[in-house]
Amino acid sequence: MGNIIEINNLSKSFGDIKAVQDLSFRVKEGELFAFLGVNGAGKSTTINIMCAQLSKDSGSIIINGNDLDRSADQIKKDLGVVFQASVLDSALSVYDNLESRGALYGIIGEALKARVRELAKILDFEDLLKRPVGKLSGGQRRRIDIARALLHKPKILVLDEPTTGLDPQTRRLIWSVIMDLRKNEGMTIFLTTHYMEEAADADFVVIIDSGKISAEGTPLELKNQYTGDFITIYGLDEDKVKLLGYEYEPIRDAYRIAVPNTSVATELIIAHPELFVDYEITKGKMDDVFLSVTGKVLEGGAQK
Amino acid sequence: MKTALVLIKRNVKLFFKDKGMFFTALITPAILLVLYVTFLGNVYRNSFESGFPQGIMISSEVLDSLVGTQLVSSILAVSCVTVAFCSNFLMVQDRANGTVKDLLIAPVSTSTLSLSYYFATLISTLMICFTATALCLVYIAIVGWYLSFVDVLLLLLDTFILVLFGTALSSVISFFLSTQGQISAVGTIISAGYGFICGAYMPISSFGEGLQTAVMFLPGTYGTSLLRNHAMRGALAELQEQGMPSQAIDGLKDMLDCNIYFFDNSVSAPVMYAVLAISVVALVGIYVLLNKFKKK
Repeated sequence: MGNIIEINNLSKSFGDIKAVQDLSFRVKEGELFAFLGVNGAGKSTTINIMCAQLSKDSGSIIINGNDLDRSADQIKKDLGVVFQASVLDSALSVYDNLESRGALYGIIGEALKARVRELAKILDFEDLLKRPVGKLSGGQRRRIDIARALLHKPKILVLDEPTTGLDPQTRRLIWSVIMDLRKNEGMTIFLTTHYMEEAADADFVVIIDSGKISAEGTPLELKNQYTGDFITIYGLDEDKVKLLGYEYEPIRDAYRIAVPNTSVATELIIAHPELFVDYEITKGKMDDVFLSVTGKVLEGGAQK
Repeated sequence: MKTALVLIKRNVKLFFKDKGMFFTALITPAILLVLYVTFLGNVYRNSFESGFPQGIMISSEVLDSLVGTQLVSSILAVSCVTVAFCSNFLMVQDRANGTVKDLLIAPVSTSTLSLSYYFATLISTLMICFTATALCLVYIAIVGWYLSFVDVLLLLLDTFILVLFGTALSSVISFFLSTQGQISAVGTIISAGYGFICGAYMPISSFGEGLQTAVMFLPGTYGTSLLRNHAMRGALAELQEQGMPSQAIDGLKDMLDCNIYFFDNSVSAPVMYAVLAISVVALVGIYVLLNKFKKK
């Protein structure tokens, strides 16, 4: 798999504020790439520059082999973007919205009708086509946002917090569609999210803080580097847990012991087989990684 | 081209579906109508009557037609510009709510996008202003019809060229707006102020000398004068038929801004059309260039 996005030494300032500082990273073709950071970390600035919505101060961006400085229009054809907030026309029907957006890519007439039919089937909005977008629920509107982003069959789908504020059922539906697109069409997904469980499924993660990369790697690499393992042990008295000599916390019907890594967990179990009758070992979560890297917590759309 | 047509269709649909924008566009003509019905009509009627030479009997129908056509020309002079501003607020609204980002994320040129707003505003404004013209003609027919077929055609031409001017002017001014607050502020200023500076609320001849000179540099003034000339020509001719001396008619034409002077030189109708046409071309050019070189 080659790189479909290459960002080299990207910088952008707004007056004295350095929004993005010397940012470099790669996204491989077909992968789910998660770009994480608190509000104001520089995610949206980076995305806006990638989409030729904002000029950069320095650095280079190559998307699908095209240099942004020379072939912005070609890059725009390769990108489909789902914005944080829906930017469709509330007063117009779903079809009218898709018609006007399709025209921007030269998709009109029968070609548009066929593409809308196809997307309506995939995203399950066939019965919503005549309804004004302003009268749709949050989940329905999100599906239309995604359809709009997919109208021109982009190679890369940029999802800027696509599921924030949605109910779990709609989130599941949207993720199932996104995963199908990856699988069936080899689409690259560039995701920013505040839901760490979504980032945990990514192939590669970049965490950005104050415009700079704080950490990058696969979720496993990040977990191994920035968090330890946890042994959850059931049916044991607290006195015996204390004897193990590691930090622990009581949870509803068990104790959760923090250990530096899986080897230490294995050694501990071998050393005390009589205590480890009913237990499980888990890796740290992406929330723990994010906290460890940035000192900040992301949860459901807000910085804590 | 097809992209531009679909975008124009979108913009026109949005304008007519947004009741706020649509009704705001109609407020200025409605205010003018109320002003005339409540007191301005009587003020002008009395002013005409007191200005007529002694001993000449003028039929009330001609008098009604003079007042009516003055009202009509004022309404059209203001509406062609204020309606264009309201219609063009869609462009600002798209900027304020982020929709323009969604449009520019596609490989569409800024010229296509900006011209689609211009032509959509033009179409919406023409639809409203031609409807207003039709209603105005019905009103003139009720109060006293002295218009010829050519007068009607010229009235329509005046409306068309003034709408072109209003759309171009509003496009340039709206380019610099980006929030709902700015839309409201500019909307209020234009609705209240434009009627005065174009001579629709008060004849320019009643302004002080300095102000008269200043407004002669504004192209809208010539639009008002063209409308006045063509809407009132029949009634003024009938006035002459009924015995009004031609000198008195000339005085009336000066008072009503049918005759306007640029540093004591009378401005003819073809020159007025030329001023408006050049202004439209210049403003559209500025608007396209502003969009082309807008800093990202």
